[in-house]
Formats: sequence, C-alpha cells, structure tokens
Amino acid sequence: MLRENYHAVIIGAGIAGIRSALDLAETGSDVLLIDRAAHPGGLLSRLDAQFPTDGCGMCKMLPLLERDSAEATCLRKGFFHERIDFLPATELSHLEGGPGRFAVRLKQTLQGVDPQLCIGCGACETVCPVDMPDDFNSGLSRSKAIHRVVPHAVVGAYVIDAAACTRCGACVPICPTGAIDLAFDRRKEFSILVVDDELSVRDSLKEWLLNEGFMNVQTAESGAEALTLLEQSDVKLLLIDVKMPGMDGVDLLKQAKADHPDRVAVMMTAYATVDTAVEAMKSGALDYLIKPFDPQAMLAMVNRVFQATVSVQERQVTAGAVILAGGMTLFDPGEGVNPYGYGTHPHVITSLAFERVLSGCGPSQGRLVRPADGKPLQRIAWLQCVGSRDCQISADFCSRICCMISLKEAVLAKNKSNDAVETTIFYTDMRTFGKSFEPYRRQAEEERGVNLVRARVHSVTASPESGDPLLRYAGLDGRMHEAEVDLVVLAAGFRPSPETEALAELTQAERNAWGFFQPQPFAAACSSAEGIYLAGACTEPVEINAALIQASAAALEAGRTLRRSGSQLALAEGPAAKGVAPDAPPRILAAICTCHGCLSETRNTEKLISGLTRDPAVVQVLFVDQLCGADGWGPLEAAIKDVAPNRLLVAACHPLRHSTHRRALSRRTGLPENLMTIVDMKIEPTEPQADTTARSLRTALGEHVLSASLQMGVAFLKHTDPTAPEREQVQRKALVIGGGTAGMHAALAIADMGYGVDLVEKENRLGGNLAWLHHTLEGHAVKPLLDQLDDRVIQHPKITLHLEHEVVNAVGRVGDFRTTVQNAQGRTEILRHGVTILATGGLEAETTAYGYGTHRAIVTQQALERQIGSGEADAAAWDVVAMIQCVGSREPSRDYCSRVCCPTAIKHALYLKEKNPRVQIYILYRDVMMTGFSESYYTEARRAGVVFIPYRPQQLPGVETSPDGIVTLSVRDPIAEVDLKIEANLLVLATGVVPRLPAKLAAFYGATLDSGGFFQEADSKWRPVDGLREGVFACGLALAPQTITEAAAAGQAAAQRALRILCHESLSAGHPTAAVRHSLCVLCQRCIDACPYGARSVDLEQRRLVVDPAMCQGCGACAAVCLNGAAILNHHGAGQMLAMIDAAVE
Amino acid sequence: MQTVTMEVKNEDVADAIRTLLGRILALDEIDAVMVPGRLPGSRSVMPLLIHDPDQLDNSDPLSPAFALNAAKQVCRLTRTATPKRVAAVLRPCEIRAFIELVKLKQGLREQVIIIGSDCPGAYPNKIFDALTREGDDSGADHGYVKRPSVDESSLSKACRACEHPMPTGADLAVCLWGVDTGREVMVDAQTDSGREILDRLGLKATPLPDQRAAAVETVVAERTRFRDSMFAETAAATDSLEKLDHYFAHCVNCYNCRTACPVCYCRQCVFETNLFDHDPLQYLSWTRRKGMIKMPTDTIFYHLTRLAHMSTACVGCGQCSNACPNDIDVMSLFRTVAHRTQAAFDYQAGRDVAERPPLSEFREHEFADTAGLHWRKEA
Repeated sequence: MLRENYHAVIIGAGIAGIRSALDLAETGSDVLLIDRAAHPGGLLSRLDAQFPTDGCGMCKMLPLLERDSAEATCLRKGFFHERIDFLPATELSHLEGGPGRFAVRLKQTLQGVDPQLCIGCGACETVCPVDMPDDFNSGLSRSKAIHRVVPHAVVGAYVIDAAACTRCGACVPICPTGAIDLAFDRRKEFSILVVDDELSVRDSLKEWLLNEGFMNVQTAESGAEALTLLEQSDVKLLLIDVKMPGMDGVDLLKQAKADHPDRVAVMMTAYATVDTAVEAMKSGALDYLIKPFDPQAMLAMVNRVFQATVSVQERQVTAGAVILAGGMTLFDPGEGVNPYGYGTHPHVITSLAFERVLSGCGPSQGRLVRPADGKPLQRIAWLQCVGSRDCQISADFCSRICCMISLKEAVLAKNKSNDAVETTIFYTDMRTFGKSFEPYRRQAEEERGVNLVRARVHSVTASPESGDPLLRYAGLDGRMHEAEVDLVVLAAGFRPSPETEALAELTQAERNAWGFFQPQPFAAACSSAEGIYLAGACTEPVEINAALIQASAAALEAGRTLRRSGSQLALAEGPAAKGVAPDAPPRILAAICTCHGCLSETRNTEKLISGLTRDPAVVQVLFVDQLCGADGWGPLEAAIKDVAPNRLLVAACHPLRHSTHRRALSRRTGLPENLMTIVDMKIEPTEPQADTTARSLRTALGEHVLSASLQMGVAFLKHTDPTAPEREQVQRKALVIGGGTAGMHAALAIADMGYGVDLVEKENRLGGNLAWLHHTLEGHAVKPLLDQLDDRVIQHPKITLHLEHEVVNAVGRVGDFRTTVQNAQGRTEILRHGVTILATGGLEAETTAYGYGTHRAIVTQQALERQIGSGEADAAAWDVVAMIQCVGSREPSRDYCSRVCCPTAIKHALYLKEKNPRVQIYILYRDVMMTGFSESYYTEARRAGVVFIPYRPQQLPGVETSPDGIVTLSVRDPIAEVDLKIEANLLVLATGVVPRLPAKLAAFYGATLDSGGFFQEADSKWRPVDGLREGVFACGLALAPQTITEAAAAGQAAAQRALRILCHESLSAGHPTAAVRHSLCVLCQRCIDACPYGARSVDLEQRRLVVDPAMCQGCGACAAVCLNGAAILNHHGAGQMLAMIDAAVE
Repeated sequence: MQTVTMEVKNEDVADAIRTLLGRILALDEIDAVMVPGRLPGSRSVMPLLIHDPDQLDNSDPLSPAFALNAAKQVCRLTRTATPKRVAAVLRPCEIRAFIELVKLKQGLREQVIIIGSDCPGAYPNKIFDALTREGDDSGADHGYVKRPSVDESSLSKACRACEHPMPTGADLAVCLWGVDTGREVMVDAQTDSGREILDRLGLKATPLPDQRAAAVETVVAERTRFRDSMFAETAAATDSLEKLDHYFAHCVNCYNCRTACPVCYCRQCVFETNLFDHDPLQYLSWTRRKGMIKMPTDTIFYHLTRLAHMSTACVGCGQCSNACPNDIDVMSLFRTVAHRTQAAFDYQAGRDVAERPPLSEFREHEFADTAGLHWRKEA
C-alpha cells in the first residue's frame, strides 16, 4: 500500500510530526510519517490530560476542512489520512540528495504480528506465559510479551517484545487470522558459526543454541577451518574466540568481514584479553562476551542479532523535504549521583510515571494509590528541576514544561481525591511563562490548595519508622527542614531523543551543546542542512502549543522547498464518485467478512442472509474472506461492478481501519463514500479455559450483535440522503493585518506559495517592534533581519502593500471575506480575500509604578534598548544599575507573564557588564523566566556578578529619588532576612507586553479576545493560531507575548493554516453536515447558541437561518437542541436514527 | 410614578379597568389594546384587539373565561418592531408564557405594555360554556370579582394549583387583593415603561396598602397546598410505564394539547412531520416482535417528547387539559414533571426575561454528579 515517492518524509510521529504531516497533507502533499515507536502519539500518548482544560484535546488537530480526508476519531486510537502513510518502528538508515530530491532509506523493525492481519481480539495475550513490566505504564504494571502497543490502539494493535518472548509458540495457533510470525523456520535456517579451539566450548555452545531452536550451527576449531566453512555457506553470525593458536580471533574477524561487511561477529574472550576484544570492535565486531559466560546472556545476544537480521525490513523512498520531529526523551533520574533514590526507593517515581498513576488505563485504573504497595495517597511531593538547571551534570538549561506538568498533576490529584490529597511542589522558579499559565498557577495555589515551596530538596531517604520517603530541604530561611510524604514525584527534565545523534549524522543538521537540533537564527523550523526542517521538541523541550506552531512552520518551510523544486501537489477537488439520484430506491449490497474462516465456524450464515434479505432493499449478501486486506477488497470491487448497488454495507473488524480503503473503493467504483458504511463484526477473544456452555453463549451473543449491527447498517443506508454536498468558491487571496515580524513572515509565506496577499499596516513603515530592538539575547543583530524582510515584502510581486491604512469594516466568512480599508485621507477600498491573518502586534505596557515619569534615571527596558541602539547608553558612567521585573505583570489586573522581560533584562545586564565590568547590577525578580536554553544566559549573568534578589508581590520594592540623580531602592532580602538599600544610577523597569488588537477589529472577523486582550485561540494548546471561526488566524504579539523567533514561527504557522484553505478552488462540506428545513424553522435561534463552530447565523434580509457548510463540523449539537427537527444533520437524520435504534433492539 | 388608584363605581371593578385602558389607548404611542371580551352577540370571551376606544365596552378584562392562552397572540403582534406599541391585558400565566416566548425570539418584549392583575383563577371552558348557556350570567359576567366568595372548586385545577397568581413581569399590575375593591383598585408600575405610562395618565399617586402582602400570602399558601397534594397524587398515578399508559389511555394523538400549549412554539410539531411516517415494514416488524401493538403508535413517545421539549418552559396555565377532548388530566402530569425539571436548573419559567432557558446555555460546573465531575468545586 505504500507509495514510492513522497513530498515529505517526517521522522517522528509525536504531536509535532502529526501536525506537520497533517498540514502538508491538507495542502496537497503526500507524506510518509515514521516513528521509532510502534505507535504514533509520542510522549503525549502517555499523558491523558493537559492543562488548562485538565482533559485531552488531541483530536482538535484533525482537519476541519475537507475533513472526510481523515478519519475523525480519537488520535490515541490511530491516525488515518488519505495522503499520509504511517510506518511504525521505523528509523532512517540513509539519506542522499538534496531539497526536492532526497533518496531516503528506511529500516523498519517488524513486531512479530502482522498489523494488516491483527484484528486486536487479544486471544494471544490470554495464552502468553511471559509476565513482564509494562513499558507503557512506566513499569508500574505488568504485561505479557505479546501485548497491546498502547491500550487503545486500533491498527497494529499487538506487538511482541522480542527480548522477553520465550518463543513458546502458544500464541501462534490461537490467533484467528494467522497474524503472528515467530520466525521459527528462519531460526532453523539461521546460520551460526562457532570458532573456538576448545572442544568443550564448541560443544556446549552448539547444544545451547540447538535447544534455543537454532538448528544450523557449525563449529570450527581454528581460523583456517572457519574460513573454509565461510566460503561454503552463508554464515550470518560468527562467535569467535579471541585467543586461538595460529590465526587469532581478530585476524579471522578482519578476513571474515572483508568479504561480507554485513556479517555479524561477536567476540568471546577471557577476562585477561578484554582489551583485545574491545579493540576488535573497532574492526567491526558487534560486541563481546567474557568467558566463562552465562548461557542466558549469550543466548540473549544471539537472539538480538537474529531478530535484527530477520525482522528488519529495508525500504527506499524519495522525498522532496525531510522534517525532523523526533521529540525528546525523559531524563533518567537514576543516572549519576541520584540524591533522590530513584530506582532504589520504591516510592520515588518520575512525573511521567505519575501521569500513568492518574490514568484510567494506568496501573491502578486511575485510583489515586501508591504504585508500589497500593496505599491510598494522602501526601505527594513534586521535586522540580531534576536533571534540569544543573551545571554539575552538564544540564545548564531549563526543561521548560516541568513546572506546568507538576502543577497540572497536583491539580489532577486534587480532582481525583476530592481535594483530600496534600500536594506540595518544591521549586526554584515557578516558570509560568505562557499566556494561560499564570492564572492556572494562581488557581492551583489559591483555590485548590496546592502548596508551592521555594526550596531545592537536598535528599530523599526512607523514614526509619514508616519507610515512607523523607525529604530534607533548606527553606528560604536557610534552616534545614524535613517532610515525610507517601510519594515523591520527580519532575524529571528532558534530553534529546536517543536517535538524535544518528539523525544528525545522516542529515548533517547541526546540534547544540546539549545535543538538541540547532535551529537557524530567527527561523525556528530551519536546520543548518538544506531541505531538512525541525518541528517540536527536537530543538528544545517545548510545550504542546509551541511544538505545534513550530511544526506548522516546518510544514510551511517544507512546502516552500517543494514549490521551489517544482513538485506537483495532488489535490483532489471533490470526490470522483458519480453520485446517486435522490429518488432512486436503495439497492444495498451487503458484504460480510468471514474473517479467515472464523465466521463460518461460529456463526449461522444462513440466518444472517435470511435476516438481511427480508428487507427488499438488500439486493445481495456476499461473504468475502479478509475484507480487512487487499485480498478481500478485490472481490468486493468486482461484486460492486457486477451487482451495481447504490449503497454498500460492509461487516468487518475495526471499521476505523478501513477509512482509506473505503475512499479508494469509492474512487474506483464511483459509489459515493457516504453511501458506504462499515459495521464492526466485534470478534471477541475466545478464552481457551472457557467451557462449552460459555463458548456457545458467547457465540450466540456474537451472532446477535452481528445481526443487530447489520440491521442497523441497513437502516442507516436506507435513510441516507444520496445528494452530494455543495461546494463554495474560495477567494484565493489572503489579508494580513499588521506589518511587523509576524505579519511580514505570514505575508511572505503565503506569497511565496503563489497566492496574492494584501498586507495592511497602520504606520508608514514596516517592521513593528523590530525598529527599536537592537540585538537578541543570543547576540543576533536585529537590523539585518528587518532590512531583509522589508526588502522582500516590498519587492514581492504577490504582495500588495497598504501602508498607513486601517481596516474600518469587514464582512464574510471563510473563503470569502470583504474588508474595507481606509487610508489617512479617508479614501476607502474594498479587499476580497479567503482568509484573514491578524498580526496587529503589541507594545510595551505603560506604567506609573516606581516613580516612572518623575525622574530621568527611571526608564523602561525598551528605553534602555533604544539607548543601547543609538549609542546613548553610557555604561561606563554607571556604577550601579537596578532592574525591577514583573512591573504590573502577573497580577490579577494583567494576569500573564510577558515572557520577554527576563531575557531582555539579562541581555541588557550582560551588555552593560561587558561594556563596564565594574558596574554593579541588581535584578529584582519574582520568578526568573529563563526557559529552555536561555537558562544558560541566566547562569552567565550570575557568573558575571549580576545580583538577583527575589521579591514577593505582597511586599513590593520601594523607590525614592533624589535631585542628584540617584534612585534609592529598598527591598527585603528574603534569604539574608535583611532590608537592603540600593543606590542606583539607573532604574530599569520591565513593564511587559500588551497586545494591540482592538476588540472591534477582531469582531469584524468573528474573533474574540481573551482576558489579557490577546486573540482568543480556538484551543490554546491544540489550535494555537486558529480562531474559532474558520479562516481567521493570529500571530505575533496580538496572539501572545513572544520573542522575535516565536513571532516569526507563529506568522508562518498562521500562513500554513491559511494555505489549507487557499489551496482549494472551492470548499465542500464533510459528512455529516447540518442543514435547515426552513418550512419547520421558527427562528428561535437555539441552534445558534448551541453551535460551537459559529457556523450558523440568521440571514436578516431573508429572515431565515443559514448554515455555513464549510464551517460546520457535523457535531449535531444544533439538531439536538432543535425541538421539531428543523435543524437536521444530513446523513444522521432523526428518522434514520429511530430506524437504527429499532434495528438495534430487533 | 409608582402606584396610582382608580376609583370603583357601583362596585364594578372591571369598569374601573376599562377606564384605565381607555386612558392608555388615548396615549399617542399606543396603537391598540388587546383585552379579553366578547364580539357583539357572542357568548364566548376571546382576546380582542381594540383600536377604537368606543369598542372598549365590549371588553371584559376580569372575565373568568380562559378560552386560550393569549401569549402566542401577543407574539403575533410583536414579532417584528412596529412604529407604535400595543398594550395587552394578560393573566399572570399568559405573561409568563409570553416571557418564555420572548426568550425564544418569538416576540419582542419592548413592543408591548403588559397590564396584568391579581388572578383569582378561571373556569374550565366546559363550565364557562355551561354557565353562559344556562343564561345565568352570575358566574360569567363582569361581576366576577364583586363577590370574593366565588366557588373555588369550580375553578380549573390549574388555577387552584397556581402558586404564582401575581402579574410578575407586567408593566402595570392591577392590585385587587388587600385592596378595598368596593371603592378603588390600585395600579402598580413594575417596570420603567410602566412608570413612564403612569406619569402620563394624570392619576392620583398612593402607596400600596399594608395588608396587601398578607392577603397575597393567604392565597398563595392555599394554592401551594393544593398544588402539592396534586403533585403527590399525580406522581403516584404515573410512577410506572404501565400506569403512564393508563393515564393516557384515552389519548387519540389529536395533538390538541400541544396546539393549546402557549410554549409549544414550533410551527409544526415534530410528531406531525414525516419523521413519524414509519416504513410499513416497521409496523409489521414491531408487531412481529411483540405479538400486538396499539395503533396509532407513538402515543407515550409523544407525551414524553413534549415533556422533554417544554417542561422547563411550562407555566402551568392548564390549557392542555382544557383542550383535551377526552378529559385527560394532562396539566397535572406536566406541572408535576415541570416542577422538578425547573427546580433541577434552579429555573422558573417566565420569572425573568433575562434568565436564559436552561438548555440554551452551558455551565461548566452544573450537574457535577451527572457529568462525572463530582470533584469540581462550585464556582
């Protein structure tokens, strides 16, 4: 089923990889998505709930336009899109070529179970004798060697852990579809050569290997004999003794490898010659075993080699671009000093393991109990910065997301326990740097009673009395404290995912000092290698929303490369299906999968046929084997051509898996997809222990369920309206409002893809805040960026620039907006466009705090940056500079962190220190928000002697001024417990960022503002740049406080989201879509209130209710609130539902 | 102005109200007055839309007849904005129904001046018809309120169980209880619109008498007692599907109750649409399964659906029972259920035009137990 040529290959199928893949697929690219894991979802597949909703919203990533191209189902179950192929357990093995023409070689590890055949019945699991720790639940529960890859997986549901499998073979015969292959035959054939001068070693090794099923074992007593045997047979694995008379092991190895470099060799050595064995590895030996060796260890190694040989499948494809989205991996707190006893103390777990404790499919089914002994949890402590912000272990960076994860976990634990559990978070800085983070913290702390203790825990030991964890920590008062808790959760930081190093070598993409991929300045999605793009946490530990923004930006960059290299995109406008006349009587072909013969054995087929054909609408019943695979769809296609039905009913296992089949079948047969339905056969595992009565009961029940499902399918199809949905034309042009960093990036991105852009800017110049920014924290100058963007925008033939223009009115909807813009002279112009991007920017907040405006020595950070830029700032003239952070920020009146102020303050402090090493700098802060790798500049600043003094919002610093130009600050040092007086030449206030997005302007496009006045996203995590109204996007400071690089990425992400719409000539509604029966409608408008997508409105001129089919997502909320069926859901009509219910209870 | 008095001559309270209506009709901004009355020569009392002040003589503002709930008629007059407003004399339950309909965008509240009065209750249609047919107008004429000792037992059951007999939500409330109606009635302005109207009528201002509150309380207490025993009896009579079947045994699916219901605002009931024109095979499949089915089907389904659709909006006017050709006590069941569904949402149909219908808004923190959000703290 796989293609050979793709537009893009995406490595890593976590949420960033999925986002990039969907973005590219939605704009017409064929995408191959691979992951080293056997399932998509990455880290997030193990996190059930995210803040601030305390729920999951992963499915919100699914396409909203042309949504029939993907299966609208829980992303945790699986991931299906017609233009995306997913390869599990696959890694990149080789990469050649360049942008537009990569040759990609892939290595897939087979999992022992054929995903095409496995129906997920679970019979194998019931007979597997191997009991092992369950990786998915962080080892807190048990699983079998053959197990579900994730609890809710649908496709490729089962995998075998090759290392744990004993190859007893019990699962093979019980599998109803013959999906399990333990490679017994290949094991028998697998050729092994043992070379040792000692007969006893040769004999015992051979015997052990024979017992393990390796029947093709040869032995040789010398190198020379070995070489003869090597010539005669295709030996796959050599076990070579290092020390032999004559030709020694290393020489043999060299000669054996010379002819066949892929031949695997393992050295056997006595302890004395270990060095030689190690040396041998340089000559190509895989590993070595020390004599006398444990047979189990030897066999495990041989099994590993065997698995690697037989279960690896190589594939070669081409791609125009490559996106690296391999994510990150959790730091192992057991590494190194391990002061918290991870791995030795039973009640110390990681935050990821605690996610599993909270999960309904976790080790305790979501009950809040201690994993090791089941004791109900009453006191939980979280320890922050484990493996992060720790120079001693070369981790001088902040893992960025752990603070919010711990806060969320504490809140979820409170939820689970009705607030009974005592939760304490020990932290250094609570880094609530995002838009909704600070309110979440406030709520957790003030309303839910989560204790936040600012202290670094020194050690965790077991309490001598109870054995419970005992924490020792130094409080702010400097004294040692002790606390006993039931469970310690380590907020472990993150590291690059294990394959990063290999990927860097294969792709030539540079990495940073910590091993993460290094993006280019101001281009978060660009690696140092051409055509290789970066998405998500492979560049830095990031939260969901940043990962998705970067993933969309990566998709944009990849799309740009594809366009430059002349790739043709494949966008199918509308289904190929012919359609069916609305009044044609239903003719249903029912095709039932016999499921590898299971059906005929257990089900009464005659009864099924007579039950179905009682309804004259069913014209034929067909039994086909393996409808789940290519074997079955061929005969089915032939039958459709033969019988010419106008409806198709299929009964097979796991209907979700067939969505792509269904679409292909529709293309080939002309039968519209919405007139096909697939019902679940629900094959249940038959437990071998069950007695005959239980078995027959189960069979009877299965028959009943199948019969009811089929009858429901018939009822559904009979009542399905065959009319094809209408399509609405798209104005294939974009409007970008605001010409700052984000707006320029968005405009250029869309224009580069060949669509016209109207860029409206209020000022008489482009650039926004870039005009006064001098350099970044990382030391990049800002002016060249501004000049380059400015040039490109002005010269771009697809961009129409409207300087000194403002939007005065707008109407319309996705695909067709009309915006009136006005210039300074009052002349207006109407612009038509299909999408709108709000990039209106933001400003430094105004303040009157701390005497600002009364004294020239009190300035804001922006003013200082301007002075630095103009050369006015005379660092040498200053002895003391003081800075106050969070001025007016992170308070109920402005309840968000402005994110840029801490990096700006430290940037300026380092600049001043460089210019004048004697200057004393004091930074008064609440929490230092130096997230990710910017943490290292915080370290640098402290090393440079910058003094950081925390203050509490309840006790703000005092400021007094004197005529001699000195500003005196008074602040209480909470550590030394003394009142400090600082006499400064300059006081710099970080007043933060406020958005410049007028509510009226947002309202023109149906957008709303959040409590901070920023653009309200459709979902702060999962749809970070989309408005709730489709076709409206935001980026830059109008969206959230962000850095230049983040604003650029957000601009590109907004552009990419917009391109999904612009790439279509017309938009069609998906199935199902809501409609109105006007003769019944009384315009009570309850449906408008109920519609979560803003798809419904009243046409006041015609006095009728209208539905925008492109915005409608078919959720049916309107039909549910409408009392008399005036609001209906096509293809899910009330009559249809009643008929289906009747069929179900028949 | 807050409260004024109207002089009562010859103990004719209705005539005093007619005088009030005449003055309101004389105002520039009022186009017409809707008030119950009789067309010349007719026995029945229906809402009349009067433009000519002389025709006010035909009006019967305190008639004990209650042929239909006039809320839907007010909607017809206020569906869209008109240059001038109308005034309407409505019973408290009609006002409540109108407020529910305004919430459902079926009428514009600001287009009408509502005049209500303390409601002593009304006769069922059949009793009123009998009274007028016998030629004995004593129970049916304007003198209704002259004799406070009206026979409560002949009033409709809905009225006897009505615990909201006060014209809450009216612009002008005509106060009868606690007032010496032999001499005067009082008109209390309950809204800014009402106060503006009173300001322009040139009537004598007066405070409401102290004894009024106690008089109202007595009426409400008596009705609440009646109501609660009705709830108990009805609940006992319908607490199983079998009993419910019995309760509606005489129902012929005529849907009169839904036509008479003021808050059943659908243009066409879903039960009259093609949704219930089942496939003939369907009926046969039902009878095959059960051995026997009653035709027409969907009787209980209809009543349950109507309960689901409108019990949160039920104002207890009793017109459903009034309209039933087979004397099914529809009102008692609907009120019993409505009482609980409205309590569940802390909602009272018609109480306040600013309150949104329960199913039109989503509150994240309500029904924590039902939604499995038991740990959520009340906001």
